Amino acid sequence: MTLVAASPNPPAAGQLALAVLLAAVGFFLLLPKPRGRSVAGGTAAVLAAAAVLGAWAHQRFGEPAPDWVGKLLFILFSTGAVGFGTVLVVQRNPARGAIAFAFVILSTCGLFLLLAAPFLMAATIIIYAGAIIVTFLFVLMLSAAGGPSDENDRTREPLLGSLAGFAFVGLILFTLSQTQDSVTPAAAADSADWKRLSPLPAPVLTPEERHTLAEVAGKLDEVGRDSFYGDPAVAGTTRQERMTLLTGIEQALEDVVGKEQGTVRPGSIESRLAGYRSDLQARAVLERAAAVRRLSDVLEKKVEPMVGDRAAGRPAEAQAEVRKLRDEVLLLHGAGDLPARNVGNLGLLLYADHLLAVELAGTLLLVATIGAVAIAHRKGAPR
Amino acid sequence: MITVWHYLVVAAVLFGIGLVGFLTRRNMITMFLCAEMMLQGVAINFAAFARYHGNLHGQVFVLFIVAVAACEAGIALALFLMLYRRAKTLDVSSWQELREVGVPPTVDTESLPPVPAEPADPQLSPAGRKPAPTAEETVRV
Repeated sequence: MTLVAASPNPPAAGQLALAVLLAAVGFFLLLPKPRGRSVAGGTAAVLAAAAVLGAWAHQRFGEPAPDWVGKLLFILFSTGAVGFGTVLVVQRNPARGAIAFAFVILSTCGLFLLLAAPFLMAATIIIYAGAIIVTFLFVLMLSAAGGPSDENDRTREPLLGSLAGFAFVGLILFTLSQTQDSVTPAAAADSADWKRLSPLPAPVLTPEERHTLAEVAGKLDEVGRDSFYGDPAVAGTTRQERMTLLTGIEQALEDVVGKEQGTVRPGSIESRLAGYRSDLQARAVLERAAAVRRLSDVLEKKVEPMVGDRAAGRPAEAQAEVRKLRDEVLLLHGAGDLPARNVGNLGLLLYADHLLAVELAGTLLLVATIGAVAIAHRKGAPR
Repeated sequence: MITVWHYLVVAAVLFGIGLVGFLTRRNMITMFLCAEMMLQGVAINFAAFARYHGNLHGQVFVLFIVAVAACEAGIALALFLMLYRRAKTLDVSSWQELREVGVPPTVDTESLPPVPAEPADPQLSPAGRKPAPTAEETVRV
């Protein structure tokens, strides 16, 4: 009972237990057996369990922002995966089970696509399509045609099996909800927007910060051009306009990444990330913000004197530094997102960081091939 | 927006359903498919964490899972072939002599439902009288 007592929300734990029980009873009724199989009762219990579990997940984890298309696709694919998985487990005919498994794979691939993994989606479809067809061949070759059989119409310990399996799921889900409590900062737990802290993608940058950074990068582009340092009469911008542009950039950068002036004054990124997250990604973003902060000195020290008088500084050097600053700002702008070139970056990572593991996987495949041939080889005369 | 927690819930449920199937079903091919489904649940976990942390290491891990699943499929199907050749059935319980010492064997007490008899071929009732062969037909026969 200490487990339930530790939960800040005991009714939610009860809801979870109810879902687990309903699912176990439903699977017990649905699993094939010679007597006592009830498809209608089992389906009703499983649907009720799914509804209770869905309500629990919705209440526990909520939805932070209205995104109807994403939510609809997620619900579609996750329901598909779980529903067809249930069909696979309770289906008597293994050939129909293989078809249900194909739909489980398709739904999983949809989830991969929602998780920004297009290469995984394509690879999984290709590989498992082959695997399912081979399974089909085996079913056609080895299954007894027609009539009830031991392997398809009996199950081992249907009640204990489904209870054990779903108790396992219930414990995992309970731990998940406890974990979410522990990673949520206590100060923010009462406010309405605490759920915004852990959505996908990880919120290392808010949309406003991202927008500001994109604007700054565009303005820095202008500052990096030759015409910015040229004669005001030729370039068509007055000195006043140039000063306004520079001040705007400095102000925006100060808001987002902070300013280094004797002591560091933290910007919005630091003040938000410092309390909430301590993972590798947040640390990388903080380092990047610090780099931008250091480089932003160039505007004040090297570019500003030149606005009044071109001869007061060295334009080429200032331009190079401004371009460097712009690159850093763009890198910071893209932090927190997966790269758009999924396949290329995946290949780079595979062959740069995980080369040894790739070699080991190749060896494993070779050994498995040899093993399969050795096992299936027919020695001597057929029995 | 859907959070990482939602994906973890779906992955856990998929894994659990596969676990129940693997524990209870007796057809080796269905058990194999259930094990693959558990692997899919784990793969969703890794992909969700890859998205959450904004790097691709999780997706690389899924690729290795797929490679290991391919090895597993090859070995498992070869084993099914061997076991079927010996026992002429896909039932795992026909291999229960491999169980631990001291564990009682599982015995199927309930008999399977009888196979429904095939419907007999339809018989046409004779209608009218049998025509007498003409002279021409007699010659031909």
